[in-house]
Amino acid sequence: MTDEGDVQEDGATQRLRYAYFPGCSLEASAREYDMATREVFNALDVELVDIDWNCCGATAASSTDHLLGLALPARNLALAEKEGLDITSPCPECYMKTWMAGDAARSSPDTGRKIREALGAAGLEYKGGIAVKHILEILARDVGPEAIREKVKTPLHGLKAAPYYGCLIVRPPRDDPFDSPEDPGTLEEVIRLTGARPIRFQSRLRCCGGTQLLPNEELFMKMTYAILKDARDSGADFVVTACPLCHMALDAKQKAIAAAYQDDMEMPVLYLTQLLGLALGIEPRKLGLDKNLVSTKNLIKSLKAQ
Amino acid sequence: MPAASDVSYQPVRLRECEADFVTQVEEHGGRDAHLCYQCGSCSGGCPVVFMMDHTPRKLLRMINLGMKDQVLASGTIWVCASCFTCTTRCPRGIDIAKVMTACRELAQKEGREIDNPRSPAFYQSFVEIVENYGRLFEPMLMAKIAMRTRDGPIDAARELVKDAPLGLEMARRGKLSLLPHRTKDLEQVRKIVRKVREMEVRK
Repeated sequence: MTDEGDVQEDGATQRLRYAYFPGCSLEASAREYDMATREVFNALDVELVDIDWNCCGATAASSTDHLLGLALPARNLALAEKEGLDITSPCPECYMKTWMAGDAARSSPDTGRKIREALGAAGLEYKGGIAVKHILEILARDVGPEAIREKVKTPLHGLKAAPYYGCLIVRPPRDDPFDSPEDPGTLEEVIRLTGARPIRFQSRLRCCGGTQLLPNEELFMKMTYAILKDARDSGADFVVTACPLCHMALDAKQKAIAAAYQDDMEMPVLYLTQLLGLALGIEPRKLGLDKNLVSTKNLIKSLKAQ
Repeated sequence: MPAASDVSYQPVRLRECEADFVTQVEEHGGRDAHLCYQCGSCSGGCPVVFMMDHTPRKLLRMINLGMKDQVLASGTIWVCASCFTCTTRCPRGIDIAKVMTACRELAQKEGREIDNPRSPAFYQSFVEIVENYGRLFEPMLMAKIAMRTRDGPIDAARELVKDAPLGLEMARRGKLSLLPHRTKDLEQVRKIVRKVREMEVRK
């Protein structure tokens, strides 16, 4: 629907613009992800337009009511469509719930009618014309490698990153997926652009168990520990994630997990946009790198020493 | 030796089955559940299968046989981490992760006894907060779950104290707000939630 990236008559490329749906975590436990994402998109000359979003409902809404799980994210779609913009979220859960609501509204006659009826009660409508994108897709495809490479000021040579996709950026597969659900490569592509080296990481698509963090802590710890251990055993200096729930699991809960398994691990976990921001020469504080619970100080120091 | 309580070693009593259970599951989002041909790709790729009482493959069979009571009482539907590996790999195009979601919804709506009470406490607290503020408020979520699953406020407070050190670390880094964030046009969100509830009753 939007004509982003189209070449105008005078030959200039129009600026990329998206409705921005950060999601609940990004204004609380994942504030640094929001800070870094805004900084990086600004540096790449991509405009994020704030909307009056609401929670996508996550696994909770759909587990209590199928239709509620679709109607909540549909409101955000309606707001973005009103602005004439495609919508993006850095959170894979928000992203998935939003594209699923969009698909249901478009292609399922019965469910689509119900979603429209629910929106109608709030005086909203969604015609179904906009695209839903995760920020990884925007970085790897819409902005693209050339534009990013041009803006890299401090390449992060010598750093080894464990590329951690987690679940919902590539799963379940969409009709027109931007990357392969079983053997994706966009995260590694973006990491390579920063100058860091993406290591071979077996657990890159394995679930961290984050949805079980509150209901079933024992299960959650087992799953997250396996991923952290694999990252260390694979020789990573740090893990890269693009999910606030994975970050909560791998970073915020790391100390508790290490204690439970009597392991002295200390594995920094960076958000994708924190890593990219460093390469773009953005100040670590502006990327919220002092907000990660596992210290990123040594990592930053090793960069300055280069 | 399989345990005697294992349903797969007991006769299925068709009289106690509900033939249209699979349709109910599909109507609540479990797309194409009836197409399962028992290949087991779902169980093979499931990262949490080791914690399940019935594997996803077996659960699909039970759903198709109409064994509603056993399915909704199983721990499997609450152990599922919603990672969508099964959905991605199903050669029949069944949305297996959503089959689990649909079963969770049905179990809660029908007031069934639930294998892990922390799960519905989590879901229901989450939805209440979203209905009140339009957005999630993490400290309140923790408090509500504790209140729902513990014996009284003192016991609940004990659970919260256990998480306090992490909470303080988050607060120190400005990642924990004391007040909830809200959607500005909250009334819009509430109207949508109310309408969904109303449509549910009408059905």
